[in-house]
Amino acid sequence: MDKVSAWYGEKLAIQEIVLDFEEHAVTGIIGPSGCGKSTLIRCLNRMHETIPKARVEGQVLLDGQDIYGLPAVSVRRRIGMVFQKPNPFPTMSIYENVAAGLRLNGERDRKKLDQAVLDSLKQAALWEEVKDSLDKSGASLSGGQQQRLCIARALAVRPEVLLMDEPCSALDPIATAKIEDLIFDLKKDYTLVIVTHNMQQAARVAETTAFMYLGKVVEVNNTRELFERPRESLTESYITGRFG
Amino acid sequence: MPEAAERKALQKGMQKLNENMVTLAELSELAIRKAVDGLTRMDPEIAQEVFTLDEEVYGLQLEIEKTCVELLALHAPVARDLRTITTSLKITTDLDRIGRYAKDMGEITLQFGAVGQRMDPGLARIREMADRSIQMVDTAIDAFVHRDADSVRNIIEVDDAVDQLNDENFKDIVQRMKEGRLEIETGARYLLVNRYFERIADHAVNIGLRVVYMVTGDWLPRIRAADRAKRREARKSGTAP
Repeated sequence: MDKVSAWYGEKLAIQEIVLDFEEHAVTGIIGPSGCGKSTLIRCLNRMHETIPKARVEGQVLLDGQDIYGLPAVSVRRRIGMVFQKPNPFPTMSIYENVAAGLRLNGERDRKKLDQAVLDSLKQAALWEEVKDSLDKSGASLSGGQQQRLCIARALAVRPEVLLMDEPCSALDPIATAKIEDLIFDLKKDYTLVIVTHNMQQAARVAETTAFMYLGKVVEVNNTRELFERPRESLTESYITGRFG
Repeated sequence: MPEAAERKALQKGMQKLNENMVTLAELSELAIRKAVDGLTRMDPEIAQEVFTLDEEVYGLQLEIEKTCVELLALHAPVARDLRTITTSLKITTDLDRIGRYAKDMGEITLQFGAVGQRMDPGLARIREMADRSIQMVDTAIDAFVHRDADSVRNIIEVDDAVDQLNDENFKDIVQRMKEGRLEIETGARYLLVNRYFERIADHAVNIGLRVVYMVTGDWLPRIRAADRAKRREARKSGTAP
């Protein structure tokens, strides 16, 4: 991200953010509510501009190309996103949920779709649990399974980057652990950016962590360094709970 | 960010930890001071007081360990809180060891006392060794209490002087034993006392280095005395890289 600012109408939400995301690694973004974490991550795949009166300035470079100079649909195919609350398409089967992105991109070949669904569900560590019930509704799954289904759906179109906006905040500790294990495995093939309220989660899964406050990035650091000996006193105050 | 209630519980736990650590440090230092006093006067009553203090030190060390584990398990502390807890866990071992050396000296006091032995006035350098070691412990503990990293950054250098004194004392005691001016059994005990002070100074160094980490997050390397001496020589002769 190079000097990215984003507004909701007149309100400036994030200001001149400069941030690099390491390839095949997990970058965690932490900060108090309203600091601009979700806005930042939504700028990374042009989701921010889908909100009325919202606008973005600056550049987001993917392989040297500014994504704001590319068609938004192709950007979102290359940069997938998983949201806080699992949102499978409620009327679709598990199979159709995973295949939905590919179908929207014009894929009709059943064999290719079958293979993509199989690969994506396996990558999302859900295959063993749903292989005998692919025709069941996605909404029939547990919360943790639904979130992994959404991850499988995002993976099916073979993105390069996966954005996760508080992917575990609605999940119990066991489901959370499964998603975190999944994040660990996924970084072999994808670049991941995760927004989280849970600092311990950032500490567990991210190689690099950025701390945001009032729309700005206060500190970006190796995760261990940030949690063991933060450079900025504001970061220390926040992570130790001595804030405000 | 931790929730408010969780934060209060952590604050309270950290306060308790700090109070116990300060008490532990004071008890350890008192034990070693009393041990030296007992040895100088060959007073078995003071030696008994040292034994009691050592038991107190050990008991408090266990309590501090439990507090640290509880804080780690329940609050997942980070940054300064994390460094304070892990430092406390490490320092308690050093303070316990200092208390144990005090106890060992108390036992030697009883052994000397049983045969009516007086402290050999020719061994004034053991007293100097004691003074310097206790001064180092005092500095390290003071740095912990006041969160003062600067005062202990060079504590390794101070330890070099104690190591040198240890070597000199060792040679002197052995020489006296060889010449028959000191009984073998008595001399062996003096050698042990000398060694205890040298080790106490090493524990003071450990505490000092940990305090630097706790306050600043910096890991200072522990370089062996021989290597430090080589570096000093190289600097003097202008051959340092």
